[in-house]
Amino acid sequence: MATTGANHMQAKLVLLGDMGAGKSSLALRFVKGQFFDYQESTIGAAFLTQTLAVNETTVKFEIWDTAGQERYHSLAPMYYRGAAAAIIVYDITNSDSFGRAKKWVQELQRQGNPNLVMALAGNKADLSSKRKIEAEEGQSYAEENGLFFMETSAKTSQNVNELFYEIARKLPKAQPAQASGMSLTDGSTSRLGPAKSTCCA
Amino acid sequence: MYSALNTEPPVEPPPTTAWGVERGEMQDRIDTKRNVRSSRPRKPTKVKMQDVYSFNLEVSREEASIIHQVKERVKEQGRVWWAMEAKNGAGWYLQPEIFAQAEGYFVSSLSLVTMTSTLQLKKLIRSGIPPLLRPRVWSAVSGANKRRSSAPESYYSDLLAAVEGRETPATRQIDHDLGRTFPTHPWIDSADGRAALRRILVAYSFRDSRVGYCQGMNFVAAMLLLVMKKEEDAFWMLAVLVENVLFDDCYSENLYGCHVEQRVFKDLLRKKLPRLAVRLEEIEFDVSLVTTEWFLCLFAKSLPSETTMRVWDVLFNEGASILFIVALAIFKMREEELFAAKHVGEVMKILHDATHGAYDPDELLKVAFEKVGVMSLQSIVKQRKKEQPAVIAELERRGQLNPSDSVQSSSR
Ligand SMILES: Nc1nc2c(ncn2[C@@H]2O[C@H](COP(=O)(O)OP(=O)(O)OP(=O)(O)O)[C@@H](O)[C@H]2O)c(=O)[nH]1
Ligand SMILES: [Mg+2]
Repeated sequence: MATTGANHMQAKLVLLGDMGAGKSSLALRFVKGQFFDYQESTIGAAFLTQTLAVNETTVKFEIWDTAGQERYHSLAPMYYRGAAAAIIVYDITNSDSFGRAKKWVQELQRQGNPNLVMALAGNKADLSSKRKIEAEEGQSYAEENGLFFMETSAKTSQNVNELFYEIARKLPKAQPAQASGMSLTDGSTSRLGPAKSTCCA
Repeated sequence: MYSALNTEPPVEPPPTTAWGVERGEMQDRIDTKRNVRSSRPRKPTKVKMQDVYSFNLEVSREEASIIHQVKERVKEQGRVWWAMEAKNGAGWYLQPEIFAQAEGYFVSSLSLVTMTSTLQLKKLIRSGIPPLLRPRVWSAVSGANKRRSSAPESYYSDLLAAVEGRETPATRQIDHDLGRTFPTHPWIDSADGRAALRRILVAYSFRDSRVGYCQGMNFVAAMLLLVMKKEEDAFWMLAVLVENVLFDDCYSENLYGCHVEQRVFKDLLRKKLPRLAVRLEEIEFDVSLVTTEWFLCLFAKSLPSETTMRVWDVLFNEGASILFIVALAIFKMREEELFAAKHVGEVMKILHDATHGAYDPDELLKVAFEKVGVMSLQSIVKQRKKEQPAVIAELERRGQLNPSDSVQSSSR
């Protein structure tokens, strides 16, 4: 749940999606600015935090990066319970992973929190030659279901900060500071200055 | 096969530098990059080294010195085992009667001599099996030898030949995870390492199609390869582990057994550390957030390698309750700090540091055996039975129980 202090809010964020879609890589890129061609598979879930400065407000994300294998599905409620935001990740080069993403969306709609900010991320955008899912397909699915959509690449960092920034912006606003019209459209990422990060696998 | 460990053959007296590798430690390097800018507060100096199983580490000076001490103790322990060999005869621990206890025989049916040996072995194993002897001792006490002897000699090679070139969802997932299993370990990351890992995981997925492949087994199998060194031996250890040693269904579809384990653990935590259990509930910290990975990887992803192996020494000789005991010990060691934590994030950080920094196996196991206390496998089996209906109900409610899943409890 997003909790707010004077100029500070905390938001639980969960990453869901098929095995190998790039959840851990997105989290690691966002939190530590790193990327590995071979990222260890996640068992259960990993926990990371990262703080974003959005104007005068800081948003501290507590990120649960979950395991993607189908059989781990039954553990997921523990991680999305009470979450303020969810990023559902698929791999644009793998159509099964897009199918899996849709199932997650349905499950969250059924059981999740109605105020949950949901994002759909079509990851591995750098691999356009192997693309199976067109950006339009992701976009229109997201629109139909009230999510926002971005194609990302943990490898090149394309849209990674933007994705988290956009979520921070969309979190329920209890903060006057947030009403001052920060927007992503100016395309600047330099102000997304991560303030502090920790990482626990 | 390959040499992940630069160790000596088993039946020679302990040489002065054996029982573990110190490759790389002489070249301990100070991470100079970090010290370039003196204007910034200096980070503590990190040392690069390899541990007993050749994992690359970057640790503080204090941790490095603990790791050196542990290596020394491993050598000493090697001498103790060697002395036992000299006294009781080579491979004395290979006699089935000696580890019969672990297989559930009545103690009264054992002779006094055997019983003494059994107790001696148990004590020795709790103080650690030298890396070099692990393959033989594990195979004997876990029941892997017995299991293997009841299968045809060529079982493993036949199985490999039969599954060659076949593709299933399990093999696809295994292929996906090969490069993602301890990617910084020099041997596992090699072509040989990955090929061996692939073969045992694929072979196992066909042997037990109900389990198939569960993420987590990749880390377990990789550690088994590092210890056993021979691929076929590692395969049999994996088989006996999943089929006999661990609790039922912990890797099966929907992780039914894992759910049961989580509930049993919560119950134990309430009994053994009641004050902390209440406190963690108050701040809405669900212990499963950390214990899921601990139990599915048998700590291989959280504890340093030699510490993990010390837990496995006991696991193979005494059974799966050691997983609970060690988990409780981790909470116990950090009880005060955890009690003071105000937030889930803080708890995660404390537990992360407690596990990843547990370079001294004796420190952890001392707490496990002396402060947590041993619990009988029977009592855990009983508790598992008690928790099963709730798990079935929960999974059913979420529509995650396939009718094909057998959830009838068996002996464990
Ligand atoms: N080219 C490319 N590769 C990526 C990208 N993101 C992740 N990968 C690679 O894809 C593989 C899987 O990435 P992970 O981040 O581990 O995937 P995951 O979703 O966390 O997978 P599980 O932990 O198994 O659920 C890794 O080897 C990454 O290096 C990307 O944006 N581009
Ligand atoms: Mg992952």
